[in-house]
Amino acid sequence: MSAQEGMVRVTDPVERIAHWILAVSCLFCVLTGLGLMFHSWSVIPELLGGYYATKWMHIFSGVIFTFSLVYGYFMWKKDCEFEEDDLGWILQGGGYLWQTTKLPPVFKYNAGQKAFFWFLVVFGAILVISGLIMWNPLIFPVMVARFAYMLHAMSVVVLASFIVVHIYLGTIGNPGTVSAMITGLVSKAWCETHCPRWYAERNKKPESV
Amino acid sequence: MAEFIKLIDITKCTGCRGCQVACKQWNELAAEKTTFTGSLQNPDDLSYNTWTLIRFDEVEQNGKMNWLLRHDACMHCDWPACVKACPSPGALVKTDEGPVVHNTKFCIGCKSCIVACPFDIPRYSKEKENIAKCTLCYDRITDGKNPACVTACPTGCLTFGTKEEMLDKAAKRAEKIGGFIYPNNPKYETHVLYIMPGGLKVADYSHANPNPKMPTTLMWWKNLFKPFTLIGIGGVAGLAALHYLIKGPHRVHEKKEEGGE
Repeated sequence: MSAQEGMVRVTDPVERIAHWILAVSCLFCVLTGLGLMFHSWSVIPELLGGYYATKWMHIFSGVIFTFSLVYGYFMWKKDCEFEEDDLGWILQGGGYLWQTTKLPPVFKYNAGQKAFFWFLVVFGAILVISGLIMWNPLIFPVMVARFAYMLHAMSVVVLASFIVVHIYLGTIGNPGTVSAMITGLVSKAWCETHCPRWYAERNKKPESV
Repeated sequence: MAEFIKLIDITKCTGCRGCQVACKQWNELAAEKTTFTGSLQNPDDLSYNTWTLIRFDEVEQNGKMNWLLRHDACMHCDWPACVKACPSPGALVKTDEGPVVHNTKFCIGCKSCIVACPFDIPRYSKEKENIAKCTLCYDRITDGKNPACVTACPTGCLTFGTKEEMLDKAAKRAEKIGGFIYPNNPKYETHVLYIMPGGLKVADYSHANPNPKMPTTLMWWKNLFKPFTLIGIGGVAGLAALHYLIKGPHRVHEKKEEGGE
């Protein structure tokens, strides 16, 4: 089962599908959430069939987000554990901010990607827990419910900003990257640039595809 | 139109519950089957169909037992927490006359107003999937009438009038009986005021908030995190665009590939 000539398979179909379920449910939650929070953005609830429908879409999308977040956590957590070299990568700005030749070679994910993963896990968990409280706030003490609403809004500020960075660096910021999450294939040169240690290890194993 | 205030002179309440009945009648609210809970209070709490209620408390004052009676209903805040929390435009509206009115047609049943309310007033119906509460009989007062509860009150405990008139009346009455006006937070005014008797604290009355104010968590949510959602997304998108223009995309080292193969 060979990949396209000169290309390297970096993700399997399950990983890509999980990523897109997570991404679409997350972005849909952001969209409906903005529509519910900003009265001036009433065009969103209106297009979706009204505020009542939007509330339920937000909740259902949140439930899908919850399951895909849990799945994603167990799928990516091993590759996203921090190691010593990550500090060196961060101190060099990942090579994104100035010219550097001192970047430590990256395994599967660089320190920035790992940080994004952990931000997603932590603030995603806050969003999920506070969201569940907001779904049925009356069974909780009022102060718990009030904090849930506040933390829900706070987590969105952090996560939505990081998602913008994630989208930028995954698409136009790094040409040739987005195919990793579409076909799963990237060029050999891409691997040598972005995940040299992983690529070298992979080449040692003749069985890998 | 003028701003109105409902004044509750708590010292004049006899607990007849005429206000409860009148409220049900005017607003066409169904009666509820209740059970005896050991108190004269009936029903036990406000509900989707009970927008006002006389709360009973037994306290010991100077070695003697005393009954406290309190007409409890929406306080019609000047700067309402429920309206600030509500995601659906038109579901909760602050009117120029003072009342905060709900419109079940627009309510999506999210319950955020119930959590936000400093007086714990709005009530949710699972069947209807929306909330209801006292409207200060907005339909009556815009027609020049008094609210139903005020019309029914036989003792003069409940009175209704323009803001200036009622503030003046409240101050005079409080001074005369040595009591105090509640709420008295100048940063959180309401269109319903109590005249409380002296010798008692607000906390002696069950279900009364001694320090009503806009919840701090709601302030952080709506005044800080809400605008920062857009500032965050927009700001980071702007920085990404600047990075793209100044630094350009991060291209892979093509040389390496040629050398390696």
